[in-house]
Amino acid sequence: MKIGIPRGLFYYYFSDLWISFFEKLNISYIISPETNKEIKELGNKYSTDEMCLSLKNYIGHVAYLSRYCDVILVPRIDDFGKYEQTCTNFMACYDIVNNLFDVKVLDYNISLSSHDTLYKGMKRIGKFFGKSNKDIRRAFLCATIKSNKLNKVRIIDNINRLNLTGKKILLVSHSYNTYDSTIGKPVIDYLEKLGCIVIYSDLFDKAACRRKSLELSPDIYWKYSKESIGSIALCGDKIDGIIFLSVFPCGLDSLVNELVIRKINKKCLNLVIDDMDAFAGIETRLESFVEIV
Amino acid sequence: MKLSKVGFPHIGNYYVPATYLFSNILHSDIVSAPHISQKTIELGVKYSPSFVCTPFKYTLGTLLEVIEKGADCVVQLGGGCRYGYYHELQRTIISDLGYDVKFINLVIAGKASVFRVYRELRRIDKHFRRFKSLYYLFITMKMVKYMDLIDDYIREYVGFEVNDGEMEKLNESMLKEFSGVKGYFDLKRVYKKYNSLIRKVKVDIPRNVTKVGIIGELYTIMEPFSNYFIEKSLASFNMSIKRYTNASYLMMGKGKFIKKNIKKYSKYVKYRMGADATDNIIRAVDMCRDGFDGIIHIKSSFCTPEIGSMGIINKVCCDYNVPVLFFSFDSNTSRVGLQTRLEAFNDMIEMRKK
Amino acid sequence: MNCYLGIDIGSISTKGVVIDEDNKIICSLYIWTEGSPINSVKKLVSELKKKIPSGYVVKGIGTTGSARKLIGLMMDANVVKNEITAHAVGTLSVNPNVHTILEIGGQDSKIIIIRDGVIVDYAMNTLCAAGTGSFLSSQAKRLDIPIEEFGKLALSSKNPAKIAARCTVFAESDLIHKAQVGYSKEDIVAGLCKSIVLNYLNNVGKGKKIIEPVVFQGGVSKNLGVLKYFKEVLGCDVTVDPNSHLMGALGIAILSHKNSDGRVYDLDIKDIEFKTVGNECGGCSNNCEILRIFKDKKLVDTWGSMCGKY
Repeated sequence: MKIGIPRGLFYYYFSDLWISFFEKLNISYIISPETNKEIKELGNKYSTDEMCLSLKNYIGHVAYLSRYCDVILVPRIDDFGKYEQTCTNFMACYDIVNNLFDVKVLDYNISLSSHDTLYKGMKRIGKFFGKSNKDIRRAFLCATIKSNKLNKVRIIDNINRLNLTGKKILLVSHSYNTYDSTIGKPVIDYLEKLGCIVIYSDLFDKAACRRKSLELSPDIYWKYSKESIGSIALCGDKIDGIIFLSVFPCGLDSLVNELVIRKINKKCLNLVIDDMDAFAGIETRLESFVEIV
Repeated sequence: MKLSKVGFPHIGNYYVPATYLFSNILHSDIVSAPHISQKTIELGVKYSPSFVCTPFKYTLGTLLEVIEKGADCVVQLGGGCRYGYYHELQRTIISDLGYDVKFINLVIAGKASVFRVYRELRRIDKHFRRFKSLYYLFITMKMVKYMDLIDDYIREYVGFEVNDGEMEKLNESMLKEFSGVKGYFDLKRVYKKYNSLIRKVKVDIPRNVTKVGIIGELYTIMEPFSNYFIEKSLASFNMSIKRYTNASYLMMGKGKFIKKNIKKYSKYVKYRMGADATDNIIRAVDMCRDGFDGIIHIKSSFCTPEIGSMGIINKVCCDYNVPVLFFSFDSNTSRVGLQTRLEAFNDMIEMRKK
Repeated sequence: MNCYLGIDIGSISTKGVVIDEDNKIICSLYIWTEGSPINSVKKLVSELKKKIPSGYVVKGIGTTGSARKLIGLMMDANVVKNEITAHAVGTLSVNPNVHTILEIGGQDSKIIIIRDGVIVDYAMNTLCAAGTGSFLSSQAKRLDIPIEEFGKLALSSKNPAKIAARCTVFAESDLIHKAQVGYSKEDIVAGLCKSIVLNYLNNVGKGKKIIEPVVFQGGVSKNLGVLKYFKEVLGCDVTVDPNSHLMGALGIAILSHKNSDGRVYDLDIKDIEFKTVGNECGGCSNNCEILRIFKDKKLVDTWGSMCGKY
């Protein structure tokens, strides 16, 4: 039996953990390729018109995978505590996918306020494949350690880049947008082509970011938004400009980014991406932004 | 100490109980906003970021209107979903505009905590009536419940009344009397009086009534201006309308309702999908089973949870073969286009019945 | 003999159809609205009057389309119905087995799903004018191609350019970009046609079961390029009736036949003075635009108030 992992939304937060967990337990898995034209078209076909671009792409990934595997992994995340909630798409994703496709969907729920932890979720998946408690526990431990290690290396790399000289630009965005090949990738590539050093907002110490975010917005209660705006306060004067990258029509970013832009006095660019097919306009905006930084 | 003048955003007719509550527990003046109008939304749109959901624009518009009318302290309620975060951005927008107002938010992250409410109320008025407030809160809850009961009745029968406008007039005078009640028993007396009066209004009900259910996002559904008076238009086609989402349901019944029902509807929904999405799916299944002739789903544009639920509701209605109509209301939806779609919906239902 | 007149007043064109007792078209006319429905209807009716063979008496008038209410009042019509019902009825009379109607008009696009001769589902465009006739014609003007040639040109392309057509603004900037990169005109035109089809299916046709037989109508149905891509994307045959642009008018004429009350209508409206006076009410902050309709200097109706004051 093969488990499919769609490369979107959750993937960018849990991929290291999932992959090493499945490898340890000898579960064969398949990851959908980077978002491409076919996946985007599939996403457009199955999703509702007003959904945000990231969710559309995610649905495209699921549609693509449903041909190649037996079950698809779609978790559901409610919250990581009372003031650490997530976007409602993370809460609704499982039900949306389950109703759209006939393929079996494997889910687990993370909701710390009702004591559903990541470990419980991974255990559920291990059990589904008939693994013993002991194996699952060991695999989970190894996977956590490994993913933390990998993450630490990336964070150190990111922080080191802060000390380089050159035009340093902080890219404030959710991980699933930053690394998506049709959303963030072209922007990053273009920025690097212009000679900028790109600092990623999601590669900082998460807990520190969350603490720092309260300086900008005391009542914010979304975990991932906290982490991305916390990085702004954390970087302080070390950066030259900030690019807020969000997709149309992201619910959280529409409020949070607007608030942060009003509060900080740094050069910033609010980039809302609807469809990368019209990249020409974005290029011009990036270019002129880099010039004024 | 100078007392502040308090203002708050409006939803539908619920400003009556809210004004009642605040004026009884605080020693401050209440500035009540004008009815939501074209001007409100224009103000809101002008100062809002472009793709926030429409309720943000409406509430910002009302807040600006009460501030213009002299309020120096505004209260925002907050709730789940994005509603809970409105206040933060609205406070910044209002202070950026140069107004010096106290901004109070009673609920955060969708969860009301007694301590927070107490702390925030003390910011408005240090000596607010602490013990009396529990009593008045009770009366307010009851008032909301009575209002919703009367509303439900009106919604079901207003399309068939013999003399147009009678029920609406009664409802208006009831609200007027509600805002002046002296205690719980007084409230009950008023309610009973109008309940029997409204039930006496002559209605002419045909044998084969068209029943239509309305579901959707809470602000758009409860504020008639923001849904372009969709219920009135539907009533003019002689339809009986059913709507479950109202303030008393949201405040008291919601949690229990989902907990009780979510297992039964596991074919369509397994988890809470945020805001009202799950309830709407459950309601849609219920209505389909109860033999409703059509379902209308309304929401403000960019309402994320409802967008997620739309696909599932569509599937439900396909399975039960019930027509469903989706509306996404923006600040510049055309009324003519809305009317065309509703007329076609009515024609479609009539054709199906034959 | 009796005949019935149906008028469909769209944003861009005005269509008139006269049918006999057997719902057969006696004569029809298609003219541009040119922003003034009253004048165009006056012109339409006076020309139709000349076309009706002698011996026919008009026993019913129906109006549909975006200006249906105004014209209904002016013509004293016995049926005023929305265009969705009218289109469905019209198409069903020509093609009783139809299951899906795709319609792209000047300002809006719709899909109507029919099973066993009954409308079971429909949808209209929600977002903006992207993917409607007016968008196509404005782009044709930009590319300096007469709109009649547009479809033919698209057929000659082998490699259509990909154009983002989710929103008119994006599409336009993308179009300019594609032209600047050096795509040939055919490819751009073909890309536009294809993007309209994709946009339509993703927006209006989302979640609808499109089953054969499929009929495509509305002004854009005359565009061969769009038709070609509909066939290609849907993977089934799509028929376009030679009278596809008249279906709304035909449908409303049939409805007016059904509801005829025996009254005889006079088509002499050339001299009727018909005027709309608009002013803002100012009674509350809604500032509703109140429209007063005068027929021969007599007030016949008032529209536009939200509160029912008028």
